[in-house]
Amino acid sequence: MGILQHFAECKSLVDYLKTLSNHVVDDLFGYPAACLAIFRELPKLAQNYVLRILYVEQAIPQAVISTWVSKAHVKEHSEAAEAISTLRVWKEVTMQGGLAGWMLDHKFRHNLKVALLGGGKQWTKSTNLDQDSKPRTVKDLDLYALERWEAMLHFLTEKQQKSDTVSKDTIMTLTHAGLMEQDENNAPSITNEGFQFLLLDTASQVWYFIVKYLETVEQRGLSTAECLAFLFSLSFATLGRDYGTEGFEDNMQQFMQHLREFGLIYQRTRKAGRFYPTRLALNLASRNNKISLDTEKHKTGFIVVETNYRLYAYTDSDLQLALVGMFTDFLFRFPNLVVGVITRDSIRQALRSGISAEQIISFLKMHAHYEMIKTAHINNPLPPTVVDQIRLWEMERNRLTFTDSVLYNQFLSHRDYEVVRDYAQETGVLLHGSDQKRTIVVKGSGHDDVKRFWKRHSKNSS
Amino acid sequence: MVNVTKGVLVECDPAMKQFLLHLDEREALGRKFVLNDLDETHLFVSADIIKVLKEKIDELLDKISVPVHE
Repeated sequence: MGILQHFAECKSLVDYLKTLSNHVVDDLFGYPAACLAIFRELPKLAQNYVLRILYVEQAIPQAVISTWVSKAHVKEHSEAAEAISTLRVWKEVTMQGGLAGWMLDHKFRHNLKVALLGGGKQWTKSTNLDQDSKPRTVKDLDLYALERWEAMLHFLTEKQQKSDTVSKDTIMTLTHAGLMEQDENNAPSITNEGFQFLLLDTASQVWYFIVKYLETVEQRGLSTAECLAFLFSLSFATLGRDYGTEGFEDNMQQFMQHLREFGLIYQRTRKAGRFYPTRLALNLASRNNKISLDTEKHKTGFIVVETNYRLYAYTDSDLQLALVGMFTDFLFRFPNLVVGVITRDSIRQALRSGISAEQIISFLKMHAHYEMIKTAHINNPLPPTVVDQIRLWEMERNRLTFTDSVLYNQFLSHRDYEVVRDYAQETGVLLHGSDQKRTIVVKGSGHDDVKRFWKRHSKNSS
Repeated sequence: MVNVTKGVLVECDPAMKQFLLHLDEREALGRKFVLNDLDETHLFVSADIIKVLKEKIDELLDKISVPVHE
């Protein structure tokens, strides 16, 4: 499951920053907003360390810092120190007399001070912005963000993709992220990862998408650090306030047009001279990245599942229907309600397109109707029979595992058998070994290597 | 001398293994395909049978699955 690994890799901001190259991080430290956002992400103890040495303009011996914590909490200390090191906020230096010390990154120190105490340049020239003639309310912005984001998700679910709803840039990002691929007709079509992506909650979707987008910005002639810094600045903005676009360079204007398309910021027109960040952008870099777009259109829970495997979806959104339809057979459709049934076939079809049972279950949980949550346990609103059955249907598919491999048997002596077995084990290609039968099974990929080893071995011993 | 055979290692539960041995014995797929019976949960089979085997097992599971709703 590729996408799950990717999520594990860049699940949080910290994990993402770890994957960046040194010079990007160095550039990033040039922006106060970025420094503050990174500081916010550090563990509490690490924040304390950074603040204590913020005004000490020289390296501090590691031994000194470790005395700040009592012996009973050495583990917390090393975790905090490790967190600061991996984010490259401080570097290990050798001090006079060979002492190991830590030195705060010069740029980080400077710009965190700016962020905490004020000063520096303003990131937008919003102060001399006159009143917007048609101001947007928080509700307008939520609606807009939702509409844009759903337009993209909907584009993913459509069988016949019409590329009038989303731009080439979005398609490019979707393809780069592995959520879509070109089919025979050269038209983009959804991949297994794409299906899994659709079932995630909005916050994870936005995060994953933006991370993948940032990987492509260099190709578009933008700087990763500059874009990231802008996103960090956005995350400190106020919802429902407008900010001026004056003073932004052309490349950042281009970046903003992309963000506008994804629904992270709102601009009435390209040349409006002002923009509003939406909730999607605001929550991107914050620790509790739970995005709830409070709109009447998007009620959180709309799905009722009964113990007889019937599923009722109270929605008129085509997107939500398309999502539910990935693992449900629909029976009836009414203006605000769709009735379907979960069958072995419908679930198997979903499993075949790469969705896991766990993803289906978490999707159902996430969108469980209020009435279901009320009657059942809050963490488990679904009927246990249905949940178990979906898992069983998945396990049924995995009753057999097949591995291409090579079998060695009829060794002349037990010694020969052991030598080959141990070698295969060492190189990590051993799948199965049986002492009584003197039989070894190794991975197909490891065969050539083991064969060479065996030839060498038998030549030496003879 | 060592005997080297290419094929596919199948890992499954004991019941499933017995079913595979049964298919092999009865030549239900047209021929024998189990090359080596390794242990309770492992079999070594010829690679070209896998596709047919998967279909056969799907067929079996379809047959024994009871619809959970009317």
